[in-house]
Amino acid sequence: MTLVGIIVRELRHHWVNALLGTLGLIIAVALLVSVRMTTEAAARETGRVMRDLGFNLRIIPRATDMDYFWTHGMSDQTMPEEAVKHLAEQHGVFLSFNHLTPALEGRIDVEGRQVLFTGIGDTIVDPGGGKQPMGFRIKPGQVFLGPTIADRLVAKRGGVVRLGGREFTVERILGESGTEEDVRIYGTLSDVQAVLGQPGRINEIKAIDCLCLTADQDPLSQLRAVIEDVLPEARVLQLTAIADARARQRQMAERYARFAVPLVLLVGAGWLCLLTWLNVRERRAEIGLWRALGHGSARIAGLLLGRATLLGLIGAALGFGLGTWIALSAGPEMFQVTAKSLRADTSLLLWAVLLTPAFAALASLFPTMLAVSQEPARTLRAD
Amino acid sequence: MIACEQIERTFPGARGGVAALAGVSLTVERGEFVAIKGPSGCGKSTLLLAMGGMQRPSAGRVLLEGKDIYAMSAQERNRVRAERIGFVFQLFHLIPYLTVRENVLAGLPPGSSSAGHAARVDELLEQLGLRDRSGERPGTLSAGERQRVALARALIKQPALILADEPTGNLDPENAVDVFRHLAEFQRSGGTVVVVTHGGDAAPHATRTVHLANGRVVSSTPGDQSFNSGNTVQTAP
Repeated sequence: MTLVGIIVRELRHHWVNALLGTLGLIIAVALLVSVRMTTEAAARETGRVMRDLGFNLRIIPRATDMDYFWTHGMSDQTMPEEAVKHLAEQHGVFLSFNHLTPALEGRIDVEGRQVLFTGIGDTIVDPGGGKQPMGFRIKPGQVFLGPTIADRLVAKRGGVVRLGGREFTVERILGESGTEEDVRIYGTLSDVQAVLGQPGRINEIKAIDCLCLTADQDPLSQLRAVIEDVLPEARVLQLTAIADARARQRQMAERYARFAVPLVLLVGAGWLCLLTWLNVRERRAEIGLWRALGHGSARIAGLLLGRATLLGLIGAALGFGLGTWIALSAGPEMFQVTAKSLRADTSLLLWAVLLTPAFAALASLFPTMLAVSQEPARTLRAD
Repeated sequence: MIACEQIERTFPGARGGVAALAGVSLTVERGEFVAIKGPSGCGKSTLLLAMGGMQRPSAGRVLLEGKDIYAMSAQERNRVRAERIGFVFQLFHLIPYLTVRENVLAGLPPGSSSAGHAARVDELLEQLGLRDRSGERPGTLSAGERQRVALARALIKQPALILADEPTGNLDPENAVDVFRHLAEFQRSGGTVVVVTHGGDAAPHATRTVHLANGRVVSSTPGDQSFNSGNTVQTAP
C-alpha cells in the first residue's frame, strides 16, 4: 500500500479533523490573499490619491532670493535644463526622489495683466520603479488655461490664444482650484522657454519625496544631503503638509500589513498545530502499531507530514480562490479610484501552493517528531 | 529462537522507579508454544514487548536468533520486526480506515508488493473465516472477527515468531478457543509462539508455561501445569 493511499484513506476516515484542518488553512490562505490584494490596492489607491495632491518637493537654484521666491512663488534664478538629467543619472537618487520634472516659471503680460506661465518638461521616473510619469502631458503648441484666465480671455477648448507674440491652441481649461493655479497657464517647457527668452534654462525641478518619512523623522535633512552631494548648485524645499500626509498614509498602510500578515500566519499555524496534535494523539496507538509492524520513523513521519502537506495543497488552492473572490467582491467598494486595477494575482497562487504545504508540514513537525521519537510500546499502549 | 538475559525494566513512578521486570531470564526454542502467566501488573506485557523489540530494557539483553536486538540500529530492528516477528494484541489494534484485506496486507514488510501476496491473503482469509468480510472496515466486525484479522495480519509475512499479548482477553470462550487453535496451527507448521494470557485457554496447546510474579520468573513448567507442581524445567534467578 502506498503512502499516499494510506494518507487518503485516513483523511476520509478522520474527515472531521481533516475538514477542520483544511478549513483552517483555507481561512488562513484566504485572509492572506485578500489582505495582500487589498493592501496592494490600498497602496495603489493611496499612491493615486497622494499623487493627486501634486508634487511635494521643489528643487530650485541655490542662489535663489528666498524673499522673492516666497512672495512671487517662483525662483528668480535659473539653472541648465540638463540638471534634471544629471540628477536622474546619479546612483541612488530614486531612493529619495521620483517623478523628476523640469519646469520654468515666469510672468507674462496678457491683455495688460500679469499671469503665471509655467513650462513643464518630460518627467523622469525611476527606471526600475514601474511607475507612470505624473503631471500634465502637453504637446508643443498647446496650452492648458487656469479658469480665471480662460474667463478673461473668453477662451474655449480648441480655441487659439496669443501669448508673448506666439499662438497656442487651448487644449484644456483647468477646473477651479481656489489657488494661484486659477491664474496659471501651462505649456511645454520648450514653448515657455521660447516665450520667456530662456532657452535651455529651468528654474525648478518638481519631484515627489520617496522617503515617506513623517515630519518628526526629519526627511528634509536626508533629502538636502542627497542634493548637496549630486547637485550642489541647487537646494530642496519640501511642501511639508503634503509630504507629511503622504508619509503618514503610507506608513499606516505598511504598519497594517506588518500587523495583519504575521497575525494571520500565527493563528493559522496555531490552529494547524492544535489539529495535528489532536490527530497524532488520536492516532498514537496506530503509530505504535505501524512501528510494531516494522515501519520506520521516516515512513511514519511521512504519513503525518504527507497528510499535512496534502491538506496544505488543498488549503492553498481553495484559500487562494476564496481570498481572491473576497478581495474582488469587496475591493471595488473600498478602492473606487483604482477599482479596475484590482485583479486576481496568479503569483499569489504560486506562492500559496509552494508555501502553504511547507508551512502546514512545519506546523505539524513538532507533534510528529514527538510521536515518532517515543518508544513504540508507549504509543501502542495509548489506548 | 529468542532469549532474554537478565532483563530489567523500570518505569518512573510517583515514589521513584517501579520495577516491572527485575532480572528476567527466559529462553524460548524454535517450535515452542510458550504461555506466560501471572497476576496483573507482574510484567507479562512488558516482557513480551521487550522480546519484540518494542520496549528497550533498562538492563539485560534480548537475543533473537542469536543477535541482540537492542544492540541493532533502529532500522535493523524495524526490519527484524517487519520480517521475523508477528504481533497479536488484546485490543486488536486494527487500522480503522483500512478494510480487512488492507489490514492484513499492512502486516507485510514495508515495500512488499500487495499484488504478489494476493493469493496468500485470500488463503488466510479463507482459513480464518473472513473471506466474506474482506471489504469491510474493522468497525463493522465482531471482536472475534477483529482478532482473526489481527492473526491474519501477523501470519501474512510468515514470521518465525508470534508474540501475542492477551489475544483472547476481549473474546468470548468460543472465539478464544478459535484464536488459540490458529496459533497452535502456526506452531505446528514450525513457528514459535509466545503468548501472554490470564486464563487457561492456552492449556491444550502450550508446550511450556512460564509464571511471572513481581517482575521475576517464578517457574517454568511443561505444558500448562500449575506453577506449584514442582515440575520446573527452567527457572530464571
